[in-house]
Amino acid sequence: MSAIIEVPQRLDESSFDLVAAGYAASAGAAKVIVDAHATEWISPYGLTTLLAAGQALRERDGHPALFTVPGDRNVAHFWARMGFFTHAAEIFELHGSVPRVKAGESKVLLEVTPVRQAEDVHSVVHHIQDKSAEILTSELGLDPKATMGFGMALSEACQNIVEHAGTGGWVAVHSYNWRKLGKRVVVIAVADAGVGFRHTLEPTQAKRFGERWGDGAALEAALLQSVSRFRDPGRGQGLAGIRRYLGRWQGKLSIRSGTARIAIVPPWDDDTPLVENLAPFPGAQVQLVIPAEAEQAK
Amino acid sequence: MITQIDVREVLVQLGHGRPDLVTRPTGRAVRTSIELELGRLSGRTVVVLDFSDVRIIDCSCADEIVAKLVQASFGSELQLDAFFLIRGLDDDQINDIDHVLRPQRLALVAETAGRLRLVGEVADDARAAFGLLAARGRTDARELADALAWTVEVARTVLDDLAGRRLVMHDDGLYLAPHTAA
Repeated sequence: MSAIIEVPQRLDESSFDLVAAGYAASAGAAKVIVDAHATEWISPYGLTTLLAAGQALRERDGHPALFTVPGDRNVAHFWARMGFFTHAAEIFELHGSVPRVKAGESKVLLEVTPVRQAEDVHSVVHHIQDKSAEILTSELGLDPKATMGFGMALSEACQNIVEHAGTGGWVAVHSYNWRKLGKRVVVIAVADAGVGFRHTLEPTQAKRFGERWGDGAALEAALLQSVSRFRDPGRGQGLAGIRRYLGRWQGKLSIRSGTARIAIVPPWDDDTPLVENLAPFPGAQVQLVIPAEAEQAK
Repeated sequence: MITQIDVREVLVQLGHGRPDLVTRPTGRAVRTSIELELGRLSGRTVVVLDFSDVRIIDCSCADEIVAKLVQASFGSELQLDAFFLIRGLDDDQINDIDHVLRPQRLALVAETAGRLRLVGEVADDARAAFGLLAARGRTDARELADALAWTVEVARTVLDDLAGRRLVMHDDGLYLAPHTAA
């Protein structure tokens, strides 16, 4: 029997749970089809989490899922320019016409980029600092100081994959208009289908939390208490560093892992700080949002 | 003696062309290089870690380089009587290092705009004592006690604690700020 995971018309952080629910429901199906033919808009979070879904399906089912390319030519072209299909071809069986694009056609801050090892983190950070600092400051009005911290936050977000996921993942950085805020934002999305926060922290933290232990408690421990799986007290500071950076620039951080999602919510947003009992999805999916023309918090 | 270590130059020697201190493996490699350099020295030394030409330092590198070097100065890893001072970082970067040091109950001296300040976990009275000492360059327990309206015993205890944490130098009854001491 086949199972279809429908990719929503708009795929971003808020609609990703439909994909996660589809992933969970497709367990046991002989064939899984990830259908993006009707998708019209996608965020960097959507692009990276779709790849994570493909990786998770392949590992769970032992063979690649089918992936239906967006039917709209312009949409498919955009995905191609973002580098999505280059990586999707390695984990999905692609169905539909994949547009060919020339290297360097993209104007985004960072196309979908794989993160597997520390050297990849270096490449990502250097790319942003070398090629995108100008865009961040002149076009988006970010304070030059914010671009330095931006590199730090990007580095720490990517290192979570290298240090904890137990597998590779993807990162993408775009800027676009955030409807709720009414201004441009820079969005960093980092996603993997690895072991996730609960599994990583279970050996050292499960006993401390007792019956409360779960994906939500693991996210709280990591993000709010800077807990790490390592006993070294110097570890676990990466997410705290991201929080401080976003706090300075009124940014937003959210992390989904397993069945829970935690968010540090700035005054301009009304997201829920902790959501539990979501459809299970492996690994960790992280999003950082930095508003353009951000003024440093006093 | 003062030893200046250009951290950017250490990165270059390790084959990193760009001025970004990111990831733990890079931090470990930089620290190992610095430890090798310090292994050639002996005696009391102010070690100035100069980050002026570094663009980014993430929390992982801050821990691997700064925190672990300070930690090493209390153990047998370094034979040196080392007093660490960091220079060339902006306020946000120093703030990040402060947060990396605090959970480990570590501290060190930072120089910003020509002034010395303590970064990391330090009690308020020790911070006040250091502020006065940094402004004067050197002091003794009596002078500090007079300036801060403390007893001499309290002033001496606070200064000894700072010296024990390698944040000031103690020499023949005088306590000296690292940059003036060498």
